[in-house]
Amino acid sequence: MANDDIVNGGIADDDRTSRPRTQGLPSDGDSAASRPRWRGLSRSGWGWSHAAQSEPASDNAPIPSGHPRSLRPLRRIAIILRSMWRHGEGRFALIVLACWLIVALVSLVWTPYPLLVTDGYHVWNGPSAQHWLGTDGTGADVLSWLMAGSRTNLLIVIAVVAVTAAFGLLLVAAMVSRRSALASVSVVAVDALISVPTVLIALILAVPLGASIMVVVLACGFGYGLNLARVARPQAMLAARSAYVESARANGAGGWRVLVGHIVPNIMPVLLVQLSLSAGTAVLAESGLTYLGIGVPSGVPSWGHSLATSVKFINVFPLTVLWPGLLVTVVVVALNIFGDVLRDAADPLTNPELRGDHGR
Amino acid sequence: MRFVIRRLLLFMAALFGISVCLFVALRILPGDVASVMAGLNSPPERVAALREQLGLNRPLVAQYCDWIAALCRGDFGTSILTGRSVGSLVAARASVTFPLIVMGLIVAMAVGIPLGCAAVLCRSRALRSAFHIMSIIGGSVPALWGGLLLILLFSRGSGLIGVFPSQGFAPDGWADSGRALASLVLPALAVGLIVAAGLMRYTRAALGDLASSGYVAMAMACGMTRTEAVLRVGLRLAVPQLVSVVGLTFAEMITGVMVIENLFALPGIGNGLVIDVGNRDLIAVQSELLMLAAFFLAVGFLVDVLHRLLDPRLQTSGDSAAQGG
Repeated sequence: MANDDIVNGGIADDDRTSRPRTQGLPSDGDSAASRPRWRGLSRSGWGWSHAAQSEPASDNAPIPSGHPRSLRPLRRIAIILRSMWRHGEGRFALIVLACWLIVALVSLVWTPYPLLVTDGYHVWNGPSAQHWLGTDGTGADVLSWLMAGSRTNLLIVIAVVAVTAAFGLLLVAAMVSRRSALASVSVVAVDALISVPTVLIALILAVPLGASIMVVVLACGFGYGLNLARVARPQAMLAARSAYVESARANGAGGWRVLVGHIVPNIMPVLLVQLSLSAGTAVLAESGLTYLGIGVPSGVPSWGHSLATSVKFINVFPLTVLWPGLLVTVVVVALNIFGDVLRDAADPLTNPELRGDHGR
Repeated sequence: MRFVIRRLLLFMAALFGISVCLFVALRILPGDVASVMAGLNSPPERVAALREQLGLNRPLVAQYCDWIAALCRGDFGTSILTGRSVGSLVAARASVTFPLIVMGLIVAMAVGIPLGCAAVLCRSRALRSAFHIMSIIGGSVPALWGGLLLILLFSRGSGLIGVFPSQGFAPDGWADSGRALASLVLPALAVGLIVAAGLMRYTRAALGDLASSGYVAMAMACGMTRTEAVLRVGLRLAVPQLVSVVGLTFAEMITGVMVIENLFALPGIGNGLVIDVGNRDLIAVQSELLMLAAFFLAVGFLVDVLHRLLDPRLQTSGDSAAQGG
């Protein structure tokens, strides 16, 4: 199993990377295809803990080795944000996500109306000066519920990303481990389980747990973790077989150290894209599962909840249903774009600024 | 053929694993299946009788073996609520869901693949970015909302252009096939269009890679135009990958299908499953979930085999290329 990857890595690996779940496309044609990838070489600029290795000669700024942390973390983040901002799509994504964050924080202390205040005389109202986005069937303010919902959704998305990253990396670690039994069993398990849809997992979990946020988080985290592991495996494999991992091992580094110090930085671009895609899909999954009655419990504000409650009266008052759906769509678009732009901005191979203050 | 046998073994193993997970998930309920099914405040004798009837007093391993043995005989259990056998229940629901999925898939392929090709072939920058934006937005619409917009646009009664029935399935089922088909058009569009965006993005990525490859350059050197070369050579080379993606799309569509069935009030598998989970009809849920999981595992298996058949490069490099999957 080990050698197969090197021997016919080309075809077989692409075969693997190229089987995303519908939304989880590993790369975007234009940006990824036209850019040469130096797979298997160390991505020196990620620089979390390992020293820079030889950079491909075609790059005109050779990086001297031995500068593991030439840029301070804060400065690195500032550079990444700035180059994302310069990108038109990136600016859109940053603005939307920043607004989301701010609204979620504001809703902790203030919403236009308290959630449980209902106005029985103004049911199904359109947008007006008192209720900016109108009112729903009980006369509650739609804007207030959406603002409070942004908090729940933010929580869900963060939890899903954390679970996905933890579970996915655990699987990656198992897949590239040196124990061949563990490695082949995990590869086989991922291959088989990947064809089970997330919603089935959610339904299985919903039987003992009932409608709860845990169902959404665990089901999404499990499903997307599998997907992440499958997409990241070829690159992780190349990193695991590379000379610098060998030398690290020769220096006495243990398995976890190699994983965190060498393999994770190498699969970081894939990781960023997959995680932001899973964040977007989690928002969509939340609305779907909540509508089906196995997601966020009723009474807890969330975008899926707002969408689901307004659906029942679509024939009576169609306009109320517009807002939550539009909101979800815009946020998911922003999350999907965010990953792509972040990958390009945070990768020193594509963003020369990150190579920073040495070499020039 | 070694590959097929290995993949088949894997399929069985995965099915076994999922059945165990399902079984355990249903047995770690607070209380037990019988008390949940009997409902709150039911007399203890009734719970005990139900427990006896379902065989819940026996050891877990024996219960599991009974269940599996019954499944192998084709006995999927009896729904406690309706008293019908789960097998016939699922068959009736599948007659709605299966056509819906197939129609959705046709919509997705008919829209996604040509648009993906067009995105590779067109040269103007503006069009390219229009395609890009289209694919991103298309994949970001919640299925529920997409379905609602379609209802608002096209349904009879409330829609702007009243063409199709807004909700429900033809009352006579497939006996009245015209009406049955008409009631599936909007749901299939809703399911298909959302998935089409993903398919389009994928087609563009795969074909874009191939368009800059040596194969297409060679074909152009032999006198084809770029369009011809991409469509005749590139598309053929992309077919195995596209088959894989369509297979996974198939599995992923079920989430949308469940929501859409619910929204359009179609008596399909997804809708039925959600109702059964809500009603705590656990015997039915257990068998239905296993059947669905088996179905998707089977699709995954077929897709993997098909992918290998369609891509001779994977065969010439020897069986070891299968990498266990």
